[in-house]
Amino acid sequence: MSLTNSDVRVEQTTAMDSPLQQAQLAASTIDPKLMARVAKGDHQAFSQLYDQSSTLLYSMALRILGSREDAAELLQEVYLEIWRKVVRYDVGRGTPIAWLITLTHSRAIDRLRMPGARPRHQAGELHTSSLAPTGADRSSSPFESHADQELKSLVSRAWADLPRPQQQAIELAYYEGLSRAEIAARLNEPLDAVKTRIKLGMSKLREALRCHWDRAGSL
Amino acid sequence: MTHEELEDAVPLYAVGALERTERQVLEAHLLSGCLACHSSLKEHQSVAVLLPFSLTLTQPPRAIKTKIMAARTPAAAAESVSQPPNKPSLEPGEWMNHLFPPDEPSPASSFAWVAGVVLLALLAGGGYFAWDSYTRIAEDTTKLAQLQTELDRTRSALAERERSLTASREDIQRRTSDVAALKDQLIQREAELDDAQAQLALRGGPPLRAPQDELGLLLRTPDVKAIPMAGTTMAKPAAGMLLFDARTKKAWLYAVNLPACPDGATYQVWAIYEKPVSVGLFCVNNGDTSHLFVTPLPNFKNAKQFIVSLEPVGGRSELSGPIYLSSQLP
Repeated sequence: MSLTNSDVRVEQTTAMDSPLQQAQLAASTIDPKLMARVAKGDHQAFSQLYDQSSTLLYSMALRILGSREDAAELLQEVYLEIWRKVVRYDVGRGTPIAWLITLTHSRAIDRLRMPGARPRHQAGELHTSSLAPTGADRSSSPFESHADQELKSLVSRAWADLPRPQQQAIELAYYEGLSRAEIAARLNEPLDAVKTRIKLGMSKLREALRCHWDRAGSL
Repeated sequence: MTHEELEDAVPLYAVGALERTERQVLEAHLLSGCLACHSSLKEHQSVAVLLPFSLTLTQPPRAIKTKIMAARTPAAAAESVSQPPNKPSLEPGEWMNHLFPPDEPSPASSFAWVAGVVLLALLAGGGYFAWDSYTRIAEDTTKLAQLQTELDRTRSALAERERSLTASREDIQRRTSDVAALKDQLIQREAELDDAQAQLALRGGPPLRAPQDELGLLLRTPDVKAIPMAGTTMAKPAAGMLLFDARTKKAWLYAVNLPACPDGATYQVWAIYEKPVSVGLFCVNNGDTSHLFVTPLPNFKNAKQFIVSLEPVGGRSELSGPIYLSSQLP
């Protein structure tokens, strides 16, 4: 496949990104105008979008699929889909990162449910401690933007305040794609108990994170 | 599904914990334009998309970006240029595209858009129907369980009543036996009374017709019943004849060749029904070869047999002594 001139320019621009430059690229603060530029076929904008969001999306894919190979493959598919479908993004319906996370989450869960999907790690792992990076996949925490670090701290505190059963139920639904009935069977708990745990957990998180939305606007 | 149940399902929808049918029902409800649920969903979806921010971050392999950049096709870019960047408004249900983006770009024609809406409505309707059926089945199952419990309770009460009825039957049977025994005693007392009256007459009481005269009169009565009695091994030469007068309900026993009663003993006449019932007492003195005994016998027709036994003076309530005369009714 041949590259256009603009492709080459993008590669050169990306290669020149320094950790200091990346530190300014917060996933939580992607500008909707960047999406508009990507929609118009701006390769440089697409490259910047990748730099700002790929670490978060890859981490989530890794958490859901449990395999670096699968997560990498999924990330590639998702960004190509973003490139093709970015025109459908509507700023009125949420922030760019919300759209990207939702799309990636949906595709990862679909992949998890595919017949013959690679078996993933078992449930019950802690939300933030699993799948420690190795080799070239170093945690980007030192390079996280201030905005992302602040948001991470806020979400982590809110999450830590949840009782373990509520965390477990939400984790199994969100990261393993299990339905309420499947969660009940996995935890050997009544169906209504699972429903209540998810409902209460989500309500607590909503209240805890409300200050963030009030300050930064809804995701 | 009530509105409250739908509202409760929103947080589960946001994290993807609803079954397909439940999801379709909620989506149909959201399409109907419920602002409260729509607002709740937006908030919960906002929570859900924040969850990955608390993950331990891992950088993707550097080679991926190169692959992605290289894999983009001019055609895909052209598509993106040809499409309008933003849609003008938040139309009902369009927020769902965030969760389930279509695999292919939407064609611009209104026909396809309408077809999509119709298909979604059909799916939502089908989902609602399935959910409604599921709810009804669940309600029916609950009712069935209640009916089963009620049936068990009724069966238990019925068994208790049967036990009570059996106890009542046994009580009635016991009381019937008691009444029969009382009747027997009454007959015996009547016989004793007759005997006492006879003895009173012999000791100078008011003049009575001589038994022999009465027997003569009885023998002339056409419908009198005559029961022959034979001596047993205790008194082989003995014999007897029991006559019954249905008009006066009196029995006449004429016995011959019975041995004289030893001291402290007397003959006792028994009518055998289900069990022996005493009819009366008489005594044979030394030198007597015959004896005439008369007694009321109201229940003659049910008697199966008549017996004369030797019992202690005063008689017994139950047959216990040796039998001297016995009859066998046809």
